[in-house]
Amino acid sequence: MEPADLGHHISRRFNEDLERVRTKVLQMGGFVEQQLEQAVTALVEGDSQLGEEVALGDHKVNQMEVGIDEECGKILATRQPTASDLRVIVAIIKTITDLERIGDEVEKIAIIASRLAAVEPPVDRYREVRHLSRLVTEMVHDSLHAFARLDATEALEIARRDRVVDEEYEAIQRQNITYMMEDPRSIRRALEVMWVVRALERIGDHAKNICEYIVYMVHGKDIRHLSPEDAEAQLQGREGFG
Amino acid sequence: MGSAWSFALARLSAAIGLAIAGGLIFGRVDLWLVALLAAYLLLQLSSLYRLHRWLKHRSEEDPPDLGGVWGDVVALVGRIYRRKQFHKRRVVQLFREFRRLTAAMPEGVLLLTNDREILWFNRTAGVMLGLHRKVDFGMRIENLVRHPDFARYIAAGPQSAPVTIRSAQGAEERFLAFQLIPAAEQQLLLVRDITRETRLEAMRKDFVANASHELRSPLTVVAGYLDQLADDHGVDPVWRAPIEEMRRQAERMRLIVEDLLELSRLEASDKEAPYDPVDLGGMLALLRKEALARVQRPREITLQLDSDRRLLGSETELHSIAANLVSNACKFTPAEGTITIRWWVDVEGGHLSVQDTGIGIPAEHIPRLTERFYRVDKGRSRKSGGSGLGLAIVKHALQRHGGRLAIESVEGRGSTFSCHFPAKRVA
Repeated sequence: MEPADLGHHISRRFNEDLERVRTKVLQMGGFVEQQLEQAVTALVEGDSQLGEEVALGDHKVNQMEVGIDEECGKILATRQPTASDLRVIVAIIKTITDLERIGDEVEKIAIIASRLAAVEPPVDRYREVRHLSRLVTEMVHDSLHAFARLDATEALEIARRDRVVDEEYEAIQRQNITYMMEDPRSIRRALEVMWVVRALERIGDHAKNICEYIVYMVHGKDIRHLSPEDAEAQLQGREGFG
Repeated sequence: MGSAWSFALARLSAAIGLAIAGGLIFGRVDLWLVALLAAYLLLQLSSLYRLHRWLKHRSEEDPPDLGGVWGDVVALVGRIYRRKQFHKRRVVQLFREFRRLTAAMPEGVLLLTNDREILWFNRTAGVMLGLHRKVDFGMRIENLVRHPDFARYIAAGPQSAPVTIRSAQGAEERFLAFQLIPAAEQQLLLVRDITRETRLEAMRKDFVANASHELRSPLTVVAGYLDQLADDHGVDPVWRAPIEEMRRQAERMRLIVEDLLELSRLEASDKEAPYDPVDLGGMLALLRKEALARVQRPREITLQLDSDRRLLGSETELHSIAANLVSNACKFTPAEGTITIRWWVDVEGGHLSVQDTGIGIPAEHIPRLTERFYRVDKGRSRKSGGSGLGLAIVKHALQRHGGRLAIESVEGRGSTFSCHFPAKRVA
């Protein structure tokens, strides 16, 4: 066999490996998405059983993370990827860590949901929480879409949405403080709700991280710890030089 | 050969003949011949040139006016060209119609390779699943539709049962039903929005559950006072029989409401039954004892346990399956008849059967027996006091265990109700 042909074969096998791992990451993401939706449903509907089920599902997320991690290690060891292929593997390893963390936050929400099921729900049926959870769920959903499509432009746009989530978080916090001052009996519930809101805000941060890894994967630029404007400027600078 | 060819040949031979004649008269035959052939060749070349130019700029130029064989060729080429144009237009038109048709389809259609990469999808599918045209072609479908149930379905292939997933895009929750159809080298994926159907179905189930629940409390009050009246010695003896009848009917109503609640509970949980080990033998022995304690019962009730293996499932649901079958058998078997209850395990799984030598069921009624409130003989079965929901409950509870109900019956000789459980349900 000619060496060139062999090389072609190796890279094709490698591509298949990479594609399989990517699919696995997205499957893990899909599971986490569903968990998140169900945890919020359990809270809003006061379904303690559903909450417990979701909390139990977290171990599956952890298993998925370990499995993908192992596979990435195997690819690194056997194929020794370089350049953009290496970036993909690095980004995957980081992404699954964040997905696993999202899973942990979801577990928290689920546990609180099954605890709050015993308490009388507020009249507005957690309207604020529902709103925030919708923002966050969409962020997670869209960031996974961007990951599938390797769409850095979209990823930047999603990362920018984290600001809205943070603002919303602040607003709910203030609102809850008012509730607590108005009616001390609501303090217990308000505190629990604060934990839920906090977890949602953290999930938003993790989704933002995933978006940053996508940009790194596509453009090879690290935009962590940069403001969205700076991040964009850096990417444009790269294109200018390129 | 066409007349154009013979004419051309005749013309050429005449010209050669003339040249030879001219050469013979004036001398130098060779020069005459060369001059003639050169002229002939020039003529042909000019025709060929015109043909070539026309073929090159076919669309804007009219066909050259060439006589003879060349004219035939031009006409032939023109005909082929026109026919090709016609076919092309038709294909384009067909393709446009196809695209319009698929775009207008209320269902989403996706074409996938066998590796589940997206080849093509129509507009509806794009909107339903949030896919982008062009960008998402070549992408694996499960990377974009990431619901775990969907991934499981698509990995299992077209043989498995179609799957429904709940997707919450934006504020609205929607239910999408997916069905995979194998199509030669590719697979066709159909997506249907069944939000409306799902909501209606949920509403119907809720209604039945709520109505039954609401009926229960007034019924308890009525039954309570009737019990008191029956025990009250101050009541005029004329009222004794009516009160007894009212008590019986109230009890029957309570049974119906209980069964309705049980049925709606079974329907509401679409998940599989749990896998708790259940000692079916012990349960059946107990049910046999209860049946023997009935006032009206067949003479002989035998229990045949061929296996002591346990069944994995929900104890309460398995109990209601067995209890319903046994009580049905008791009701429709005369006093001199027999009932045989059997539990056995083979390679296919576990089997529970209740066989009686009762009145039997006419064949045309068998397929409809598990419908709610379906009665074979309207007058008789109401007297026997059932709710009319027993077999519906059996069917639903069995479904949750992955099992199925088989009914065999000969009118006048008796019936056999068999429950078949899959092998994974046997411990």
